[in-house]
Amino acid sequence: MSGAVEFVKGSARLVVSGGRAYKAWVAALLALVAIGGIAYVHQVRTGLIATNMRDQVSWAFYIGNFTFLVGVAAAAVLLVIPAYVYQWKPIKEVVVLGELLAISALTMCLLFILVDMGRPDRFLHIMPLLGTPNWPRSLLAWDALVLNTYLLLNAALVLYLLFKTYRGEHYDRRIFLPLVLLSIPVSISTHTVTAFLYNGMAARPYWNASILAPRFIASAFCSGPAVMIILFQILRRTNRFPIKDEAIWKIAELMSYAMFLNLFLLGAELFKEYYSATEHLRYTQYFWGGLDGHRALVPYAWLSLTCSVAAFVLFLIPRTRRNYVTLNLGCLLIWAGVYIEKGMGLIIPGFTPDTLGEIYEYTPTATEWAIAAGVFGVGFLVFTALVKIAVPILVGTFRAPERVAAPGPSSAGIPAQ
Amino acid sequence: MRKRYAMAVDTARCVGCSACVIACKTENALPSGGFRDWIAEETRGAFPALSMEIRSERCNQCSRPSCVSACPTGASHVADGGVVGVTRAKCTGCKACVASCPYGARYVHPEGFVDKCTFCLHRVREGKLPACVETCPTRALTFGDLADPASRVAELTRSRRVKVLQPGSGNEPNVFFLT
Ligand code: SF4
Ligand code: SF4
Repeated sequence: MSGAVEFVKGSARLVVSGGRAYKAWVAALLALVAIGGIAYVHQVRTGLIATNMRDQVSWAFYIGNFTFLVGVAAAAVLLVIPAYVYQWKPIKEVVVLGELLAISALTMCLLFILVDMGRPDRFLHIMPLLGTPNWPRSLLAWDALVLNTYLLLNAALVLYLLFKTYRGEHYDRRIFLPLVLLSIPVSISTHTVTAFLYNGMAARPYWNASILAPRFIASAFCSGPAVMIILFQILRRTNRFPIKDEAIWKIAELMSYAMFLNLFLLGAELFKEYYSATEHLRYTQYFWGGLDGHRALVPYAWLSLTCSVAAFVLFLIPRTRRNYVTLNLGCLLIWAGVYIEKGMGLIIPGFTPDTLGEIYEYTPTATEWAIAAGVFGVGFLVFTALVKIAVPILVGTFRAPERVAAPGPSSAGIPAQ
Repeated sequence: MRKRYAMAVDTARCVGCSACVIACKTENALPSGGFRDWIAEETRGAFPALSMEIRSERCNQCSRPSCVSACPTGASHVADGGVVGVTRAKCTGCKACVASCPYGARYVHPEGFVDKCTFCLHRVREGKLPACVETCPTRALTFGDLADPASRVAELTRSRRVKVLQPGSGNEPNVFFLT
């Protein structure tokens, strides 16, 4: 396996070298990680009291970010389906980049769970074999299982494919294809299980709606591909990465359908809550209109709705979908809309008012913001490094030394197949 | 016969003096800000025609505890007499149990794990009563084995008008309020 050593060395070289913009980007991310690290040390020293989470609102900003990112991770891989159906040219590249995004998003998910725990040193108790997971009863034990399976599956797939391509060998379809096909149901199940984690809690009526899992999937299909669209454009500019405009526009079109579904499901839920107006309405009211003068989340609720509707319109109209300015604006809007809706907008009203009827208005502390920034820093750093290694392999500029010397290497720009 | 520990709280006797809360805090050395039981006061009507219900509340030691289902590690478990306990050494502080409890019975200990009422199982095993029950000056709290028809708690829940909190929760609580 001397090839493996060469591969690691070459990869490391790729990660540390780059232009000005790349170095600045990495430096910025490292700064975020440092800020997050310092804040986390503070949190570990003082305990969860360093956050604004209390017994009334015991899951908050961290878990909101976690939920949003599970969606990103799930949807990244789902892009395989349209890529296959519409026969986009670089399908292998779409798969690999989707999986890299999934790996980074999952890294962030696991970190967000870890920083939310009161005793992160005991997380091994949840792991299969190592600990004593309460499986199959506990949805959290399920979630840990599917998230880690999904992470391992993606990592194995990407590593296999990239290493083979790097060596200039053909990948074995009998290994590759079943794994890709397996990753699709696993990606859907990660998101469904996460939805069920909230959905199954009868104690929290705000989450106890059967529409939750479908809503999760619909909104995930908005936020995940938004990252991919932006990434594809960057790669097209910096590398000779052959993705066609049509593919990008198609993704945007699919996102507008997903957003429509998401908004429709939201409307269905709002109708049910407001028309039947049971005592369970209070949570929805807290989010959309405030409750007894507590209105901390109200501006965000409407901001989220505005962003989502605007993005839907931008992606629906062919002219704005095809214009790269409005397209990228739409990506940002959709990201913001879903981030609020699936993050704080999902978690906080679930706990406000609490089961005893008390209202504790939660807003994150500076420590929580800093730690979240640090986690995003780690995630984007992982993503940047992975993309930096993967793209040269995919476009054929990073090859095993013996292959480069060999006659007739694949010409750059066209993936070696 | 399997024991089923339960408590009857007489809302007509309770005066809301919080002696039970203090007794629990001392007995179980609870940290500042952490409570395993508390007093709920509900007023009805408008001045001057008012009535008030005072309840000493705690974990209901549910027969179908959603917290035990939610716990990913098995730290939350069903112990003797159906009492729901938390094994501290296994608790990761993930707070899934806090989210899943319909009664707000749990709190996060400053040391990161989750804590709740145990019906003072350490005392009950020695044949003593829970600290709150022993302390209550109006004898509003009655603890015992509901599976034993001769027990005082079984008799009270038979003969008096009884309610449980959030009967629709699906948890089958074992703290009964006599009204
Ligand atoms: S009251 Fe809450 S903590 Fe107690 S057993 Fe029931 S669900 Fe669990
Ligand atoms: S906080 Fe502790 S007791 Fe509660 S669900 Fe998590 S591991 Fe179990």
